[in-house]
Order: sequence, then structure tokens, then C-alpha cells
Amino acid sequence: MNDKLLEVKEVYKTFDGVVHALKCVSIEACENEIVGVVGENGAGKSTLMKILVGVYSPDKGEMYHKGKMIPFPRTPKEAAKRGISIVYQENGVIPWLKVYQFLFLGHEDKYIKYMKLQTVRMKEKACEILEELHVACEVEAFMHELPLSTQKMVEIARAILGVRLESEDGDTTPIIILDEPTAPLTDDECKELFRDLLKMKKNASFIFISHIIPEVMEFTDRVHVLRDGNLVAKYDFSKEKMTEEDLFRAIVGRKSSEYISRSEDRGAADEEVVLAAKNLTKSGHFYDVSFDLHKGTCIGFFGPTGSGKSKIIRTIAGLMNYDEGELKARDQELKGDELPHVRLTRGIGYFSGETGKELFLNWSIAKNISIINMEKILGKLIPVIHFNAERKMAENIVQKLEIKAPSVGTDCYSLSGGNKQKVSVGKWLERNPDILLLDDPTIGIDVGAREDIYEVLLEMKKKGISMILVSDEPKEYSILCDKIMFVMDGRIQKVLGPEEFRKVMST
Amino acid sequence: MMRKKLMTKPGLSLEWLGSNMTTVGPIIFVIAVVAIFQVINPSFLKYRGIITLVYSMSYFLIAACGLTFVIMTGSFDFSVPNMLKLSALICVLYIEKIGLLVIPLALLVCLGFGFINGLLLAKFKVPSFLATLGVSIVVDGIAWYLSKGHLRIMQDETFRSLATTFIAGFPSILYWGMGVWILSTFLALCTVFGRRTYAVGGNLEGAGLSDINIAWHRIKVFMLSGFLSGLAGVLYMSQMGGGSVKIAADMAIPLFASVVAGGTALTGGVGGPHRTLMGVIIITWIQAGMSMLAIGNDVQMLTFGLIAIGMSIATIDRKRIKIVK
Repeated sequence: MNDKLLEVKEVYKTFDGVVHALKCVSIEACENEIVGVVGENGAGKSTLMKILVGVYSPDKGEMYHKGKMIPFPRTPKEAAKRGISIVYQENGVIPWLKVYQFLFLGHEDKYIKYMKLQTVRMKEKACEILEELHVACEVEAFMHELPLSTQKMVEIARAILGVRLESEDGDTTPIIILDEPTAPLTDDECKELFRDLLKMKKNASFIFISHIIPEVMEFTDRVHVLRDGNLVAKYDFSKEKMTEEDLFRAIVGRKSSEYISRSEDRGAADEEVVLAAKNLTKSGHFYDVSFDLHKGTCIGFFGPTGSGKSKIIRTIAGLMNYDEGELKARDQELKGDELPHVRLTRGIGYFSGETGKELFLNWSIAKNISIINMEKILGKLIPVIHFNAERKMAENIVQKLEIKAPSVGTDCYSLSGGNKQKVSVGKWLERNPDILLLDDPTIGIDVGAREDIYEVLLEMKKKGISMILVSDEPKEYSILCDKIMFVMDGRIQKVLGPEEFRKVMST
Repeated sequence: MMRKKLMTKPGLSLEWLGSNMTTVGPIIFVIAVVAIFQVINPSFLKYRGIITLVYSMSYFLIAACGLTFVIMTGSFDFSVPNMLKLSALICVLYIEKIGLLVIPLALLVCLGFGFINGLLLAKFKVPSFLATLGVSIVVDGIAWYLSKGHLRIMQDETFRSLATTFIAGFPSILYWGMGVWILSTFLALCTVFGRRTYAVGGNLEGAGLSDINIAWHRIKVFMLSGFLSGLAGVLYMSQMGGGSVKIAADMAIPLFASVVAGGTALTGGVGGPHRTLMGVIIITWIQAGMSMLAIGNDVQMLTFGLIAIGMSIATIDRKRIKIVK
């Protein structure tokens, strides 16, 4: 076993004193290895990495470098001095710089003589380092001319170079954090990137953040699994045999006791098909998706982040176009380029749990509820908003959903997360669409408010509203769905009933 | 309970003042402006002074109302002054040939250019600053071409009476201005159109998910702005009785300053035409007051520039902006 190069122990981090982003998390990285950090969105991966590079400072915790205790870095430059650097997921490249200019960006002061930049020496040094790291590209080329995977490699080279130029003792192994480096790449480019990364292992250690399970399994030596700010598991692939499904379950968690069925008798479910998809395809995102949505039922698309589940629901909502296939609501064909407001006229509503997306936060509760229910509060003769009717409509919803607010005139800014969400649900309750698309409907709210929202959604389902659910919370599927489609790599792998789903998830 | 009390009975405390600065600020500003000019120039608030003020603010108010709707959606319309000019020139150039039909003609032309503005933004995704600046220059070119640069005098008495008939002691253009202002306020606060305008400016993504055809709505807003610029132009010509392509040349910044000074932030989603009245009074009365004191154009432009910048700083919600370009 190699020596531990970097180790952090029992890191705690809270935001605003309320949200626990990290609870007692410890990870370590050894010399010349690729260590994975995986978890769903919001699991705390990014927070942890930002602590390592000095963007955030932790509430509590210890940091060791080669067994020696050191203080946490306070700025990215300090982190670089200790040998830690990060390559972010996106927007890291400046397209109109040449490769060598980009490599030395921010370190030009080391190459100044008589107030003049020594470009010749910079180019020589750039050539050297690119050769050493096996990055094949011209130092005179512009960044945007390189293929995406090579751009990523140059970024990584730049991070390594930065550590070498800044670090106090010249020969520390750089620790490079890769924040979902493959997100913008195609499959072939990914393979290219990983081939080069494996070659680079002898020059540096990598901490690899991802939620794409196959690549984590294939290319990392060890993996840390984070969930809800906790370190839930550690695996060493050289010692343990694991399947992709094992790792997936470790990521989403098995809370078997929580799977209590709520959907009682389903006898009333109609045979009428309200939405039908046939071989729906968007290349690069999902392929051959087919399903029939019956009146008053709920379908869930379940799978890891990046599996294409949220792309499917966004396509149905009209936020994305599809390439091939057929999408029909009752008898009407839904064209790919229709926008959400057209879909709404066909009875398809889109409810996102991200309240910033959904609500007008500087508006009152009443206005937020009425914006999609305008025709109900307009005068019969002259189309003028009747403020009394608007207020009554909102008061009705506030009462029904027990939204805690001083009055319906209160701005949504001042409401708590759960109450904001209830306002969002409330407006759809009033609107009563044929189909409601639920995109992570309870993201970021507490358990109590979640229960209330499930209650409302189940009631809406009973009234005959059909739903499609996409979520990060497995529990939600077993509560709301009548049919669960398991999505992996953009394809539907299997279709499960709620009972089967519960069984699969709790074993 | 505490909270409820505070909400129902806002005391005149400093806190209350701070949170309502966008409403109270302009009113204090107007009072200060009037007081200063009254002290320096005692005839400022005499009858003739007031008539001058009315003449200087009314057509301006109409154009500013149109611009307010555009700014409420978070866009900008540079073409207002030049559309106003084109509309005014169409009236004076063709009144002898087609009589009072010049009015609908001028309004239609401006409506059309407003449509083009909106189309460029909503369909071709040209940023509104650029699109409307381009259209503005095109309109300017047309105005030069049509008028050949000559000064023209409006001879038609009926046309001139549109703005200059005195009713109850005030020229009729004041009633036009106030009428448009009241209608705009009504449109913004009490109709679906207005509600959706705020929605588009406040949260574009949310608006798209809320029953709103964003592209078409933005086009409609620009058409409204074009139409009101046209109307302002017609009444301007009726009031002035003549003009050349030089009119309305420096209007863009004062117009913008007046909307922002009223409390409609450039970021969109807040404010409204009801607030613009105060802003228009601030700007046009400063302008008129300075002119009465024979203060030159140089100082005036400098003042409006500073007001525009200062008011932008005061009204923009910086928390919501990530990148400024």
C-alpha cells in the first residue's frame, strides 16, 4: 500500500448554520492513484472539493499532508502551494488563447525579464511539460482548435504546472481534483481522456468526482461514496468485487423501512391513454423511449443522474426537442419544437422542484397562483383582472395546503422552502391540467413539507390527473408511481411495478 | 403577530423609508427640484411657468410610458426618439396630400418598426440594445431621406389644435399625456398583458412555463413602445408646429433617465408606468427649469447622464445579476 499523500479527517460544514452540507466526512488520496468521489446531486461532493482548494473553509476538521498536519488552505493559491489544484467541469478554457499562453495563464510573472514576457522560454517549457505528460498538441495552436478531450488534458497539465510553479517544496506530487471532467465529452472523447489520464498517473494523484458509474468503476482505484453530506461507504476495487448495481445502490441508499405504499386500490385507474410515446429518441441523451400513460396514473423514470431521465421529462415538457419517434397526447401529435406554453394548452403542465425556476419570487402568493389561472379571474365583459377573485382563489389554496404565510399578499421571497414549494403545487392544483410532469418535486425541502406535497399530489392523481415523475429520491417513486421505468445510459432497461421496485430497492 | 402589526401599520420610521425608497425617493426628488428652481427663479411656478412645464413633459410622458413597458421586460428600446421624429416628420410632410390620414399612417409606420424590433429580439436573438440601435439608425436614415434635411412648418390648423387647444386652463396635450399615462398604468396593473409583462421581466424561464408565449409577448411590448413613440411624435408636431430631422436628437438619455428615476429597474420585472410619471416630472422639469435660467445644453446633458447612472445604481437589484456585459 502506498503512503497517504493527502488526508482530511472529520470535516464538518454548514451553510447559514442550518443546512448540513458535510457531516464528519473523511477521505484520503495516496501517491499516484485515481480516487473517485461519487454521489448524487447535493450529496456534498462539490462542497468537499471546494474546501480542499480553499474556496470554502470548513467548520471543523483536520488536514494532513504526507502524515503532517497542516491548516486548511484559505485561497486557491494557498492550496496550490500545498500541491492541490482543481479542474472545473466547465468554462475552464479560454478559447482564443494559444496553448502555451493558456498553460502559463496566471503564472506569467515567473517568466518576465526586463518587463518583457519571455515567450521563447515559455514555449520551450510548455513543450517539455506536454511531452512529459503525453499530451499531443502544438503549443502554438489555439485552444478552441483542439478536440475537447485534448482541451481537458491541457487544463489538467495546466493544473499540474501551476502546482509545480507555486508549491513550496519542488518535488511534491501534485493532487489534481477533476470535477466531472467527462460531462461535456462524447463517449470516444471520454475513452481518449481516460487513456491519457492513466499515463499521467505517475506524475500526479487524481481525485475524480463523478456520478457516472461505469467510468468510475473502470478507471478509479478506490472510491468514496457520499450521500446527504455523509460518507456512507468506501470501496477498494483492487480488493473487492462489485457490480455497477451495487455501487448505484450505495449512492442512492437503501432505506427499506421507508417504503410504505400509499397508493391504495388502483381499480379506478382508467384505461384511457392520455400520453403515448413511441421510440422517442434524442441522440446523445436517450434512445427508443416508449410508454403509454393512462388517465389517473403515474409513471416514474428512475435511474442515476446523467442516465437521461430528466432529459426525457424535459422533452415532454417542451423544453427540449426530440430527433425521432412519436409523441402523442390523446390524438394530437406533439411536435418536437413546441414550446412549454403550447404544451400547456394541450394540457401538459411542468412542475419543477427548483422554486427559483418555477416561481416569481418577488411576487405575492396570490399573483404566483393566478399566473397560470388567468381566465378564472378575468371579468366576463372586459378582460380585467378581478383582484377580489384573485385573492379568494389564493386564500382557498393557502387554506387547503396549509401554507404558512401572514397573508396571500406576502412576497414569496420571505417564505420557507417548503411553503414556496406548496405555492408551486397549489397553482397546478388550481389549474388542474390533464398531465402534470414532476421534475424532482421535493428537492431541497424538509420531510414534513414533503409529506404534505405527496398528499396533494396523490389527491390530484385521484381526481384523474396523470403524472410523470423524475426524482433523486427513490422513496418518492414508491409513493407516487404505478409503474417505474428503470433508465440507464438513455435506454429503458426494465419496467417495474411499485411492489417489485420496493423489493429491488430494499434488498 | 408582531409581523402582522408591522405590515398593517407602517410607521414613518427610518426603516420604512429605507424599504420604500423607490417609491418615496422620486417624490422627495421632485419636491427638491421644484423648491430649488422656485427659489432661484420665482416665476417657475407662476401660470406661464407651469404651462411651459406642461408642454415640456406631456409628449415626453407618452414616449416614456412606451419605453417603460420595454424596460419592464428587461430589454431596452433605443429607437424611441427616432421613431418619434419620423412620426412627426411624416405628419408635416404629407398633411397637404392626405390630410389628417397622416396620423394613422405615422402610427402604423411606428407600429411596424416596433414589430421589427421585437422580431429581431425574440426570433433572431439579437440583444435589444443592438437591435433597437440598428433600427433607430435605419429610421433616422428614412427621416433624412423623406425630409431632405429641410425645416418644415405645419400649416394645418386642425392638426395643430390637437395639442394646443386650451381646456380648463391647460393645453389639450396635458390631457393626452395624462390619458395615456392612466391607460398604461391600467394596462400594466389590471390586465393579463401587464401581468405577463412583469412575468417576462422577472423570471423569463418561469414565464415560459406559465402559459406565456414569450416571443410573441416581447414583440407585442415593442409594438406598444413603437405605437406610443408614434403618438408622441404626432402630438409633438402638433405642439411645436414644425421641425426638421434635428428634433428629438438628444432624447434617448433623458428618456431612459426618466424611466429609471421613476423606479423601473433595468433588470426588469419591477416598477411600471405609474412610477414613470414622477421620473418624467423630475427630468423634464429640470430640463425646463434650466432652460428658463438659460443654462446651456452642455450642463443639461451632463446632469441627465449623471441622473441616469445614479438612478441605475439605486434601482438595480444587484443580487440577481451574475455577469454584466
